[in-house]
Amino acid sequence: MKRAFVLTLTSLLLVALLLPVGAFAQKKVTFTLWTKEGEVAGGALEDIVALSKEFIKTRPGLTMEIVSYGVEDLRQNFQAAAFAGQGPDLLWTVSDHAGPFVAMEIIKPVDDIFGAEFLEGFVRPGLEVVELEGKTWGVPISVGNHLMLLYNKKLLPEAPQNTDEMIKVGQELTVDVDNDGMPDQYGLVYNLNEPFFFAPWLGGFGGWPLDGVTPTLDTPGMVGALQFVHDLKFVHKIVPVECDYDAADSLFKEGKAAMLVNGDWSIAEYQTPEVKANVELGIARIPMISETGLWPAPMTSGIYFMIPDYLDDEKVAIAKEFVEFISSDEVQVLFLEKHMRLPATATALAHPSISTDPLLKGSADQMVVGKPMPTVPEMRAAWDAIRPNQEAVMAGKMTAEAAAKAMQEAAEKLIREMNK
Amino acid sequence: MIPLTWDMVVQGLVEAGRILGLLAVGVVVLELFAYFVFHRWLKLKHSLPLMLMLPALVAVAALIIYPFGFNLKLAFSNMSMYRFKNFSVGLSYGIENFLDVFRAPVLQNVTFLKLLLRTVVWTAVNVVFHVLGGLFLAILLNRPLKGKAIYRTLLTIPWAIPQVIAALAWKNEFHYQYGFVNAMLKQLGFAPVQWLSDPRWAFVAVIIVNIWLGIPFMMVILLGGLQSISPEYYDAAQIDGASGWQQFRSITMPLLKPVLIPATVLGVVWTFNNFNVIYLITRGGPMEGTDILVTSLYKAVFEFYRYGFGAAYSTVILIILLLFTWVHLRITRGMGEAEGA
Repeated sequence: MKRAFVLTLTSLLLVALLLPVGAFAQKKVTFTLWTKEGEVAGGALEDIVALSKEFIKTRPGLTMEIVSYGVEDLRQNFQAAAFAGQGPDLLWTVSDHAGPFVAMEIIKPVDDIFGAEFLEGFVRPGLEVVELEGKTWGVPISVGNHLMLLYNKKLLPEAPQNTDEMIKVGQELTVDVDNDGMPDQYGLVYNLNEPFFFAPWLGGFGGWPLDGVTPTLDTPGMVGALQFVHDLKFVHKIVPVECDYDAADSLFKEGKAAMLVNGDWSIAEYQTPEVKANVELGIARIPMISETGLWPAPMTSGIYFMIPDYLDDEKVAIAKEFVEFISSDEVQVLFLEKHMRLPATATALAHPSISTDPLLKGSADQMVVGKPMPTVPEMRAAWDAIRPNQEAVMAGKMTAEAAAKAMQEAAEKLIREMNK
Repeated sequence: MIPLTWDMVVQGLVEAGRILGLLAVGVVVLELFAYFVFHRWLKLKHSLPLMLMLPALVAVAALIIYPFGFNLKLAFSNMSMYRFKNFSVGLSYGIENFLDVFRAPVLQNVTFLKLLLRTVVWTAVNVVFHVLGGLFLAILLNRPLKGKAIYRTLLTIPWAIPQVIAALAWKNEFHYQYGFVNAMLKQLGFAPVQWLSDPRWAFVAVIIVNIWLGIPFMMVILLGGLQSISPEYYDAAQIDGASGWQQFRSITMPLLKPVLIPATVLGVVWTFNNFNVIYLITRGGPMEGTDILVTSLYKAVFEFYRYGFGAAYSTVILIILLLFTWVHLRITRGMGEAEGA
């Protein structure tokens, strides 16, 4: 009797538990996209969600999930997911992830999936960035992702042409209004301690972090560039004592900085009505280095689709259709006009607004003197080697020469460990 | 912002329901299996306790034992960026990994010994201030006080704010020009400090934030302990003419010990392994000056892709914490026995 009772109860429980599961379990395909676009009001993420809704309209049974991560989180989470052999179905991320992902064998080459004809529709420099080991590892969404000089025409009507001019006007515009010993308005602001923001100056002094896969950090170019950024803070005093990305961004938005070095991703944010009250935006090249006569070379890369290695044929087919949809001229122009992203396809790049809109023109003009960011995994070691030593120079705790030497040693050590 | 719609809520609930449903089905299947094996087939005397324990045992195996074993396996492997999927496991790799922890800088310049020392300083300073600050506030709150509930609520706020938000807010407060801390210093007539670009001050800054974050927890725990001490002891002591300090030393402290000791052990382990505060405020910088063991471990694995090394390194950190707990338990147990005798 008792046993019968227990058995009945157990089977009832089983049925009760299975029922709701069965009722909700429809035969559906869920396609997950991980994107590095953040949740900013009016940002690209909102358009990705809208586009994904449009995409699934004509595909019954398909649902798309858009997951937003910070750039670094996306890399790490994808690595963990790929190690377990399951995760997102498509990545919308920056080109420099291609290097580690290829080394780890966790993404697929796209040549065979899309075919040569489709890939030829993209501008050459866009594809070159993700070519490794003779294969293409990503499909460009937009090119650029480069730094440039943004200036507030209310404070500075014309952008300086060279760094001597920049320092001169910078000093004039760095003003201590309330005489408390700290300026209330600055000539120039940017993320002082971040290597990515140091790269343009390095290029302007004729240096570059890598030659192929070999670090080239202990060079006269590096020493010159380090000394230059050091002097901006300690000698010319046109930048704040401490300035990270957010501080630079806020100062510029509040109209308390005449010049800002920031990337193409940020342009749209300085065009909102609240910011326009303080800022009349102008865009120009980062001024030519007077000492060398070279233009600073911001790293150019872009945003790319990458396809996980574990994806099955059914999902690859969906990924292909979605990528083709985003690569259409219509969508490319949407991102150009709404988010100021330079398109990756040759046809969209010929769009008239690039030559007529002064902001887009400035951005495109800066990109011309940029250099592609190395995608090889060794770049990671170079970044990590530059960071603490750049911090030391910017804290006045290390000379430029010693920092350059320490960077080179650190990069070599890191690469040795990486390849071990 | 993408607005939250009913559609999303329903979808989320369905997902959660499905997972819970599957879990429940798994448990039922497991129990049926256990019933037939233990009770019917093996006819064990203790089949019921075994059946009751089984789901928890399976969960522990899946969530603790398996990952731990996997970590040990990685510690004896050469897994790295170039050997991410096809790594090999062998004793020689393990020896190499464990030796690397001690013989070369873990990151670029900072060595294991230096990191260990810094972690000990970080933990000791934090826990001492947590306990002293918590105890002080708990004693204040344990007295008859007007508006006690309001004070208690206000004082627990740092604990109630998510750590990530608190840390990021503090990061801005340490800004050289616009931060609240330097503004205060200036008002008091001190020179402003470069909190985030000078490694020594950066270390002080992260310690201040963590002390601020940790005091409420200790306060709440110790307040609970204080409230469980019977007022009769104090009445008796007052009749005997004991001073406030004598009462604190001879009544409060000994009776608070059963609460204080586990709270301190927890505090030490948490602080030793506290990753959020440091990583969010300084990312271990500038110049690796605020890295402690766990942040350097995180960097070694996720930024430098040294998976085999990282697994060995994490095992070393685990051993240090095990040793600490063992020594601590021996000392406190010894004290308990001495008192009992």
